[in-house]
Parts: sequence; structure tokens; C-alpha cells
Amino acid sequence: MTVPMGDPAAPVVDPAEAWAGEQEPARKPEEPSLSAGEWLSKNLFSSAVNSVLTGVFTLLVLLAVRGLLNFTFSEERTWRAVKTNMRFLFTHAYPQDQYIRIWVCVGAIAVLSGLSVGLLARTGAGISMKKLSMNLMGMGGVIGLGILLREPSAVVDSEGLVVHREAAAVGDSFVDWLDTNALAVLGVLVLANVALAVWFHLQGTYLRDGPEPRLAHGVLVLASVGVLIVQQYATGEIARESFVDAMADRAWWWLGAVVLAGSGAALWFGLGDSRRRNTFVPAMHVFFAAAGIMVLSAWAYPWGHYAFLEGEFISEPGRTVAMTTKLPWTVMWALLVGTFLLGRALSTAPAARRLRVPLNLLWVMAPFVLYWAVLRDPDLDWDHVLSTDIPMAVFFAVLGGLVVWYLTHPRIGEAGRIMAVVLVGVAVLNWVAAYFGWYPMLQKARISFLLLAVVALLAHNFAGDRSQRLRLVVAWVAIMAVFHWLVTLVNSPSTVETPTDALIGGFGITLIVAVFTLLAAFPLGVLLALARTSKLPIFRVLSTAYIEVFRGVPLITLLFFFTLIFNLFLPSNMSLTDIAGATIGFALFSAAYLAENVRGGLQAVRQGQYEASDAVGLTTVQRTLFVVLPQALRVSIPPLVGQVIATFKETSLLAVVGIFDFLRIADKVISAQSEFLGVKREGLLFASFIYWIFAYNMSKHSQRLEKRLGVGER
Amino acid sequence: MSNTDQTTLAATQSGRPPFYRDATVVKWLAQVFTLLLVVFALFFLTTQALENLNRQGIEIKYDFLGIGLGSDLREGIDTDPDTAGRALWAGAVNTIRIAVGGIIAATILGVLVGVGRLSSNWIVSRMCSVFIETARNIPLLVQIVFIWALVATLPDVELDSGPINGVLHLSNKGVSVPRVHIDDGFYQWLIFLGAGWLVGSFVKRRQERRHDATGQDTYPVASLVAVLAVFGAVGWFAHPIFGWVGSIFDFIGDGYSRLTPVIVQVVLSLAAVTAAAWWIRRFLARRRTPAGLMKLTDDDKFRIIFAGVGALAVIAFVLVGWPGLSSWIINSGTDLLGVIADKFGDGRTGKPMDIKAPDVEQIGNFPNPGPAGLNLTQGGTAVFFGVVLYTASFIAEIVRGGILAVPKGQTEAGLAVGLRRVTMLRRVVLPQAFRVILPPLGNQYLNLTKNTSLAIAVGYSDFVQVGQIVYNQTGKTLEVISLWMLFYLACSLTISVIVNFFNVRMKIVER
Amino acid sequence: MSVSDATTALTEELAARDDMIVCEGVNKWFGDFQALDGITAVIKEREVVVVLGPSGSGKSTWIRCINRLEAHQEGRIVIDGVELTNDLRNIERIRSEVGMVFQQFNLFPHLTVLDNITLAPIWVRKKPKAEAEDLARSLLERVGIPEQAEKYPGQLSGGQQQRVAIARALAMEPRIMLFDEPTSALDPEMIKEVLDVMKELATSGMTMMVVTHEMGFAREVADRVIFMEDGQIVETGTPEHFFTNPHEERTKLFLSQIL
Repeated sequence: MTVPMGDPAAPVVDPAEAWAGEQEPARKPEEPSLSAGEWLSKNLFSSAVNSVLTGVFTLLVLLAVRGLLNFTFSEERTWRAVKTNMRFLFTHAYPQDQYIRIWVCVGAIAVLSGLSVGLLARTGAGISMKKLSMNLMGMGGVIGLGILLREPSAVVDSEGLVVHREAAAVGDSFVDWLDTNALAVLGVLVLANVALAVWFHLQGTYLRDGPEPRLAHGVLVLASVGVLIVQQYATGEIARESFVDAMADRAWWWLGAVVLAGSGAALWFGLGDSRRRNTFVPAMHVFFAAAGIMVLSAWAYPWGHYAFLEGEFISEPGRTVAMTTKLPWTVMWALLVGTFLLGRALSTAPAARRLRVPLNLLWVMAPFVLYWAVLRDPDLDWDHVLSTDIPMAVFFAVLGGLVVWYLTHPRIGEAGRIMAVVLVGVAVLNWVAAYFGWYPMLQKARISFLLLAVVALLAHNFAGDRSQRLRLVVAWVAIMAVFHWLVTLVNSPSTVETPTDALIGGFGITLIVAVFTLLAAFPLGVLLALARTSKLPIFRVLSTAYIEVFRGVPLITLLFFFTLIFNLFLPSNMSLTDIAGATIGFALFSAAYLAENVRGGLQAVRQGQYEASDAVGLTTVQRTLFVVLPQALRVSIPPLVGQVIATFKETSLLAVVGIFDFLRIADKVISAQSEFLGVKREGLLFASFIYWIFAYNMSKHSQRLEKRLGVGER
Repeated sequence: MSNTDQTTLAATQSGRPPFYRDATVVKWLAQVFTLLLVVFALFFLTTQALENLNRQGIEIKYDFLGIGLGSDLREGIDTDPDTAGRALWAGAVNTIRIAVGGIIAATILGVLVGVGRLSSNWIVSRMCSVFIETARNIPLLVQIVFIWALVATLPDVELDSGPINGVLHLSNKGVSVPRVHIDDGFYQWLIFLGAGWLVGSFVKRRQERRHDATGQDTYPVASLVAVLAVFGAVGWFAHPIFGWVGSIFDFIGDGYSRLTPVIVQVVLSLAAVTAAAWWIRRFLARRRTPAGLMKLTDDDKFRIIFAGVGALAVIAFVLVGWPGLSSWIINSGTDLLGVIADKFGDGRTGKPMDIKAPDVEQIGNFPNPGPAGLNLTQGGTAVFFGVVLYTASFIAEIVRGGILAVPKGQTEAGLAVGLRRVTMLRRVVLPQAFRVILPPLGNQYLNLTKNTSLAIAVGYSDFVQVGQIVYNQTGKTLEVISLWMLFYLACSLTISVIVNFFNVRMKIVER
Repeated sequence: MSVSDATTALTEELAARDDMIVCEGVNKWFGDFQALDGITAVIKEREVVVVLGPSGSGKSTWIRCINRLEAHQEGRIVIDGVELTNDLRNIERIRSEVGMVFQQFNLFPHLTVLDNITLAPIWVRKKPKAEAEDLARSLLERVGIPEQAEKYPGQLSGGQQQRVAIARALAMEPRIMLFDEPTSALDPEMIKEVLDVMKELATSGMTMMVVTHEMGFAREVADRVIFMEDGQIVETGTPEHFFTNPHEERTKLFLSQIL
């Protein structure tokens, strides 16, 4: 499999060029607008074939939109099933009285995001007023079209009365549609259109004589589509009667459409051509404004969370934090915007660049702290903490600090290497001893020894003057403090009681598993990629075997392995929970794919970079860290983001191995509730929508990044 | 000058540095150390597993494959399998069936959408990109489950079911279409086709040479197709004359079954030694210079030693590690040859292939899709359309990228030398685009095949789902998971080999 | 080897200095192809040696063997009294004593000019950052581009990039500088600015080994010219001897083609 698949990575780009491409995008004014007629004849009716395509595809679009709307807004849909299950969908059985913890986590992420974006993000060109107003008008138009398209069907109830009811399921309407004589009408219209197109074409006027003949044809095409729709409506007498009622029912939607389209139009005509093309607003501001409008609207219209209490559906019962949404979301929005503004204000300060590293560290720490400290609220056994945990942390901090101080001496020479090798030996011996049971030792002590050994092996690469050595010692002490703190947290029982094994479920577990998967998979993937491109044959063979095996089997079989029987492979006193097992499975699988992405980047680093690093005397580790990886990773950013999206989507497989993730709740849990027996499609549609929002935004962001880095441009 | 050389060189230390400073030794020590760590970790996990299984009184054995299975499968070549092995086989066929069908459908849809995205027609390109962005940004599993729930809204099956009765049935039980299937004389007919291919290639080459020599239009590909068609048509009726081929395989199988395990072990060991020897010889040959064999570096010596150690490890595995391997090879080989002998055997006079229209049969009070057509159950429909839509969105992006990767100058140059537009596309643009498209396309095929395993969520009887039934009944989880991995690795390898074959061919064409 | 009077005189004068590079019977093959064939030569301290020869003659391979970008397979190479073997300590020592300048500059594109120069002094020489930056700025001054310190290599012209590359090599305070066709990738108008830096370096007493096609530079700056062909040293001598009165037919042929 190694050879055959060729290079799976993105087009190989020269990193040097990628760097040269890193410049602020110039703010170039938008193109002048075409008149409607010009635009139509250029984009929709430029040739006979295109006109026919336009007709066919317009019809298809309208049918698809109508089907989707009929499905979504049909009276048969029980959207209450989703509305009342919001808490389940996002956190499953996390207790209501502890819900403040969830909001603390969301708030922490909002603060970090606001600060990062405010401090570090480029402003970019922003959105032009032209685009903004076009988008607004477009949204209004689409809503308006939707209101008209949605089928106002009606049925007769058992007593023979006309009951106003919206359309049935997609399947029904599809089959019905085939039964009508619509097919015949369609055939006639298509034939007429083709005939006209051919006639125009034979006359030679289509391309030569300006836009008029094309537009004439276009009007005919669109008119045919219109005729077809009217014919659709006209087939049912009852439908015709209820059309007016339906339009009246949709008054609120009309209002929304008019407001959107109106504000768009106001911008468009108010600004005039040159100003709307040359005025830009930052994308972030538009996003914050939209989010703010959404959050504030929850105070005016009860579209948020519902609860099923005492046989009634109540909006925003507000008895506990869990039962309300508008207040917490308003706070979150304020936090996000506030920290963003703070970050923007600080970003001009000279020290802003120095904040980059601590901010990134916070991002890496956040998942651990938020999950184990905030969400789990561990119950620390203070006797144990004082008698074992803290002394051990101090021991390793001091021992490691001394080792690091000693080994980073500039002229340490061979003595340092020998000492490092001895430490590695001790670390390995600890594990071998564990296997044979020679002497007892806490697992975290073994891991600390291993960390120390790795650090000792690498230490000579980072030797330097006193301040440099001091920095390294401080870093080691900090690592030990955080590591032992986290291990203590993980080992302490949670005080948050849930009826299930898992602390949290729903979309929460989806995100948590995805984040931890990526945190574990990224370093492993980079190591595998380095090994696979290494000149050393055993490393290469091991890494290749790993990558090909893990890429060759389906993820689901790995998940079954790690949730069903991996505990068999562990010593009898150890076991993994399903979620931990599944996360390991995800991480090992993603690492193989990440490794291939990084390998693509590594191959793009020129041979000369290696030679130049060798010639100035950098060691292999230094060369890899300071020269090769920064260039390789930068080239592989777009495929890496792709892999992040893939991992996010793959977490839906948790549902198959019995974990109550987002999909499982939408699919199985809601449909098993007594109020909503068998109600599946609503939850699934909602889940699709949420997954889509996340994945789509990430992929759009990655495309922008790709453009900015100049990767993939030829 | 020579004088100074002497003194300088004498002043330098010569000979080997201590091992911990020797670049080669350090390099290999690190590698061997890592290898040992990996081996130790695997050893540790394996012994733990064996120990734990022992404690529970479970053995790792594959004899459950021959034991009867209590439940039926929903669909496939055998819905009521006698043994677990047979059930898994039916599941594997279902996986392959849906993967092959999916690959074909996803390729067609993907190419159409990918080209559509490049259309100058605004609404076409917009619609294609909406399709892509929707299909690829919703997790496949969600799509599959959603389609499953949608199929449930289709009407019930009825005796005069629609939309096109007797050809296409859509219902909440799934989709039925006409089934093309292999019939009695298929394998004998294959011999005719093979012969037709040989003759056809010969004719094609001759026509090509005539074209090169005279410049006439000689239609080489058309003549190949014509020859193939003639052979196929003749073979359709004449295939029973090849009934004797089966006895050849009978004869080979007979001889094969007489092999003793010792012979197989010796052959395998010899193969390992020969492979190692061949590798070392080739390695040394590459280090031979006109001035004789150059000095081998320590690095080279390590490599040679490793090749030898590898061969010894294989021999140890064959002789000691798994002594049953050789008899397994003999038994399964004999079985395989027996099956082949039967397929080519006498008395197969029926049509090579046949087609059957779907029907509806009454089972109890309810109509159900009959056995004649190609039926996809609700789960099968969901998996099929799920993987097709999802993969098509990725293929579309690959196709679009491939076409955009051909520089505009190529098109202009092609037109400038007076090629017709179609010829230019066929001879200039497509070969170059195809070269860019093929490797990622192969990856998508691989992904599609692996993704069919999500069938387990909707109960389509694929290899994984059947495996789950098997281990739920027998408790042989570890064994079933190992079979899963081997099966999918084999599938991946096959797809890789096929894609690589075309990849290499494209490169030759390009040269 | 027949040696002219001038060369003898030069040899005697140099004999008093220390040996910097000693090569003795160095052989190297790439597969069947022998790239270096019995190279034996001594380069003295403060000597500037220009290596000439047609392309594919093994000049670059030789110079790359000297700081072990390629490993030689037979023979011995001794740099400043340290032999190049598998010994990691020797390789480390030699690499930090020998600076190299490449045809393609090979600057690190993700680092600023200043970071390019200070990277090795900080991490290999273990210098404090401030000291390394002072050194880097003074070196940039020396190669004539002090104002470009904060820019990225991609924003500089070819000649400026090559001067940064020279500064980067000098920052390690090497005793020997190797130049592998330093001007071949440059536009004609930029060659001079690089050659000027190299001339200045030569007059300051650096031991230099230069593979180049710049005959003017060889004539003006070189103490000695070595002519190679097919992996062998064909002829060695002072520039006057070499350009006016070469002994070997192959040398004459080469000079007639190139001059």
C-alpha cells in the first residue's frame, strides 16, 4: 500500500514560496456591478445549452427546496422533540444543578477565543458593503421564495372536513409527483425550449447579437418553470383554497424576509456604486453583530429551550440555569465581544507578540483543566495529596530540575549523554520491573521517570547560558506541577453524579473526544511522519507498517477493538472506560492520517535546508525542531485542518459503540422517550445541521488559510 | 609535500572511536533499542491477553467458523447460512457488492458534479457546490442513519408496486432493480473471453502498426472490441465444450493434497532464505564498482545482518511459531482447487449470465420484495446512498482540482496545433488531469470500501455486522476482530494494487 | 607530478604554515560512478584555493566531503588536525569549524535574516542571545546589508541572500570557509557584490576553498588553483602559472573553452 497510493498529501509546495506569500491581503475594491440583464445573459443564458441547463436546474433547485421545506415544516414534524431535548442533545445526563459548570467551560472558551482573535488574528480585507447587502438581499429573497414554494397541502379528516395541514413526507410527495401529469407538461416545455434554443443557434443570433435573444430565451425558460409550479399547485383543489390561508399563516416569515431584503436594498441603494464597492467592514464585527441579534432575539421571541413539565411545553422555565438559555448566552456573547475588544486594544502594544506563547499554552491546557477540574469537580483526598502526591511532585521537580540544570551545561560533552542513557535505562527498567513484579511503584512515578529520561536525552540540544538553563529548569518544574496536578485530579472521584457511566454526553462528549483525540494524535502523527521520512530503515519500516495497517482497516473495527476487548490486553488491575478506549482508537487512527499529511509537508522541505543546517553544525534534533518542522507544518496546515474536520465528523461513530454522543441521542434516545416514540427524523436533521455548521465553517476557514498561505495556487 | 602529510596524519588519532561516539553504531543502537521496545510492548500486551483469556478459560481458536449460526441474515447470497464461516462469507460478499457498486456510482456522480462545478452556468455550478458542501460536511454516519429514516417514509410494498412495476421498486423495504447474475456456464465462457482478449490484442497491435505505417484510420480499439464481441457471442453458445478444463484442476488438486506439511515447511523456509540471499546479492551488486567491491560501511553490514536475521525469524515462525500453518495451507489450497475444478467442470450447459426482473411475493399477510431482483433492504439503501453521496462530494473536488491543474497553456497549445476540441480534450487535457486525479481517487475508493462498515448502524448484513452477530453468539470477539482487520487490509491492498497498476500505466503513457 | 619552479617556491613558503585541510587518497562512488578518484591535496592556513573544472568533474562532491555533507568511502580527510571519521565528536567539531556557502543560498525561509544568522551561534556555540545578535549585526555590517536584519529571506535579492548566507557561515567563527559555486545562481549584476565580500574575506586571512567559474576571481584572489576532471586532480599551481602556461592538455582544452 505504500507505493501504490502515491503521495496522498496536498500538492507539493515549496515552503519558501509559502513564506513569501505571507502578506496582508490587499484591500482591493469589488468589481463594478453588472446590470441584471447583463448578469443573466452572462451567467445563465450564455449559450443554448446553458439556457436549457438553467431551466432544468432551476426546476431541480425549486423541487429540492420545496421538498426540504415541506419536510422540515410539515405539521407531522414534532420539532418539540428537539426543543425539549436540547439539554440531552448537548450534555446528555449532566445534572441540572451543576449546570453552571458547563457555562463556565463555555465562558472560558469564549474568553480564550475572544482574546486570541482580538490579539493575534489578522484584520484581513473584511466584507465589502456590496457583498454584505447582496447577502442580506439574498437571504431575504431565499426566505421569500421558500414561503411561496412550501406546499400548502390539505387533507380531509375522518368527518369530511378540510383540515389545514402542511405537506407530508418527502417520499410521499416524490411518488405523488411522478404520478401527476407534470411529467408531460415538463416534457412539452423542455422540447419547446430546446427548439427555440436550436432555432436561435441556427440563426446565429445567440452569441452575436447582444444579450436580447438570449434574454428572451431565458425569460421563456424561467416562465416555463413558473408554469410548471403553478400547474403543481393547481392540481389539487383543496390546495388552492388553502394557499391563501397558508400565506397568511406565514406572516412572521414574510416580515423577516422583508426586513432582511429591505436592509440589504437600503445599503445597496443608499451607498451608491463606488462607496459600496470600497467600504469594508471587518468580518468579525459582522459575525458578532449577527450573533448578538440572535442572542437578543431570544429575549423577545421564545425560540430557545423548552421543557416538558406537568404535561405542558413551557418555554424557558427558568427555574435553574439548566432550564434557561437566554441569560447565559447573553453573558457568553458579552464575554466574547468584551475580550475581543480587549485583545484588539492590546494588540497594538509591543508586548502583544509575547502573549502568543502563553495564550497557546492556555489553549492546550484548557481541555484538561475544563474537563477534569471544572466539569468533573474532583473530590481530592487531602491526606493522600499531602502525604504522596505533593511530595512526589516536589521530588521529581527537584530531581529533574537538577538533571536539566546539569545536562544543559554548554560543555557537558559525553558525560551528559552517558547520564541520559543511564536515565533511559532506569525508565525502561521501571516498566520491565512492573511486568515481572520486582518492585512496586506508582504508575505516575514511572511516567515521570520516562519524561525525565526523554528530557535528559534531548537536553544537550538546548544547552546554553545561565538564563537559558534557568528557563529550562522552570519549564520542567512547571511541567511536573501540571502533570502531577492533573494525575491527581484524574485519580480523584468525581462529585458530579450522573445516572450513566459517562460524565457528560451529547454534543459535549463529541467535542471532548474530538479535542483529546487531536491532542494525542498530533504529536504521534508528527513522530510517525518523521520516522517514515527518516533515513534509518528500522524506524521507516515500523512507521510505514503502522500507518498502512491503521489506514487499511475501518475505524469502526478499531473502536470495537478498543471498547470491547482492549481491557483483555491490560494487566488485570487496569481497565479503560469505553470513552477512554474509543479516544485511543480515534487517536491511533487519526495519527496515521495526520502522519501522511505531515509527510507531504516534510517532502516539500528542500534538501538544501537539511544541508545548510548540517553545515552550521545543528544536531538532528535541532535541525528538525528549528528548521524542518516549522516549514513542513506550515505547508501541511490545509490538509491538517482537513484532518481535524474528518476527526470531528468521525466522532459520530461513538454512537455505534454505545456511547451517548450527539448522534446516538438524536437517533435513539429521543425516539425512545414516551412522548416522542419513533420521532427520529427531526433529531437527525437537527444533528446534521449542527455538524454541518461546525464542519462547514472549519473548511471555509481552511480554504481562506490556504489562499493566504499561497498553498495550492499554481 | 609528502613529508608534511606524514607528520599531520601521524598526529591525528586513527582507528575506531568508542562505540557511544560512533555515528553508525549510535544510529543502529537507537533503532534496535526502539525495535526492542516495540517488540516488548507487543509481547507484553499479548502475554497479558493470553493470561487474561486463560483465567477466563477461553482459548483463541477459529473453529467457531465451522459451527452453526442460529440467526438469519437480512440479505445476501445466503440468508440462512449453515455455519458462521458461511455467514461471514455472505457478509464479505455483501461488503464487496456494495463497495463495487458504490465505487462505480460515486465515480459517475462525482465526475458529473466536479465538472458541473466548473460550468460557466451560474446555477449549475452553484448547485454542484451546494451539493458538495452539504454532503461532505455532514458525518457519513449521520447521513446513513438519516437516509434510513427517510426510506421508512416511503410507501409500503404492494403487489403492483412502483414507480415502474417490474423494473424499479421503491418502498419502505428498500429498493429493487433487475439483477444481472452469473449463471451455470460462466467460467467456461470466461475462457472464451480470455482467448478473445488475446486475439483482440494481437489484432489491435497489428492495426496500430498499420496506422503508423500508412496513416490510415484503422480503428484499433474498435477492432479489439469487435473480436471480443465475436468470441463472446460464439462462447455464449459453445462454452460447454470446455467442460474438460475442470479435470485439469482436479488433477492439480489431487497432487497438491498429497503434499506433506514437512515439504511445505521446507519450501517456505527455502523461500525465506532465497529471498534474503537475493536481497543481499542485489545489495552487494549495487555496491560493486569497476574497481571491485567497495569497502562496506558498518551501516551496510548492519543491513545485511538484518536481512539474515529476518530470514531466520521467518523460518523460526514456520517451524516453531505456527506449526499448523503448513497443513492449513495444504487444506485450504486443496479446497480452493476443488471449488475451481467444480466451476470449470462438466455438465455446465446453461447460459453464462442471466437477468431477472424484480418481483413482489406475498409472505403471510404482507407483500415483500421477491428473491428474483437485486434488492437493497432499508439498511442497504441507506448505506449505498450514504457512501455514494458522501464519496461523490470528495471525488467531485478531486476531479475539479485535477482539471484546474492542467495549465491553460496546454489547452491553447492543443488548439493552436489544430486539434479539434474533442481530440484536444482526449489527447491533451484528460491524460494530464487523470494523472493528478488518480492517486487521491484511489484513496477515496479505499475510504468508500472502509466506510461501508458503517452498515452496522443500520443493520445491513455486511462483513462487520455479520461479524457482530457471530461474536455475540459465540463470544469469539478477538477472533472476529482479527478477521475484520485482515479482510479490510486485503480489500485495501487489492484496491491499492489496481490503482497503482493504472498509475504506472499513466506514467508510461505520459512518457 | 611535475611541478614548476613557481609552484615549488609557493610550496616552500606555505610549508611553514599549519595544515588546515589534508586529503589523502580520497575515493567516493555514487553507485557505479566514481565521483572522486584518489584526491590527495593539502590546503594550508590562510590559503585561498580555487577549484576549477568542467561540470561533473567532482569539485562539489569534494568540497561537500570536507564537511561531511557526503561521506567519503576510502582515504582520509583531516581538518585542522581532526580526522573525519564516524566519530560524532569529530563531525561536530569539524562542522562548527568549517563554514559553507551554497549555490542556492539555502537560507531558512521561515526565519528573519537576524534569526538565520543567530540560530547556530545560540544553539551550537551556546552563546547568549544578545551576544549572538551583536555579532550578527556586525557581520551584516561587514557584508554591507545592516538594514535588512528584520526582513525575511524571500524579501531580499539573490545577491543580498548570498551575502546573508556568508554572514550566517561567518557567525560560527569558522577557521575555514567553503564556497560551492556561490555566484552561479545569481543574476550578472549581483555577482560583483558577492565577490567583493569574498575578496574582503580573503584579504582578512581566512582559509578558503572556492568552487567557482569566476576566472577573474581566481586570477585576482587565489593563492593556488586546482583543476579537476573526472574526479581527479589534474593540475595544481599559482594563478599566473595556471592561466598563462598550463602543462596538461586537458587544462589547456578547458581554458580554451571557457576563456
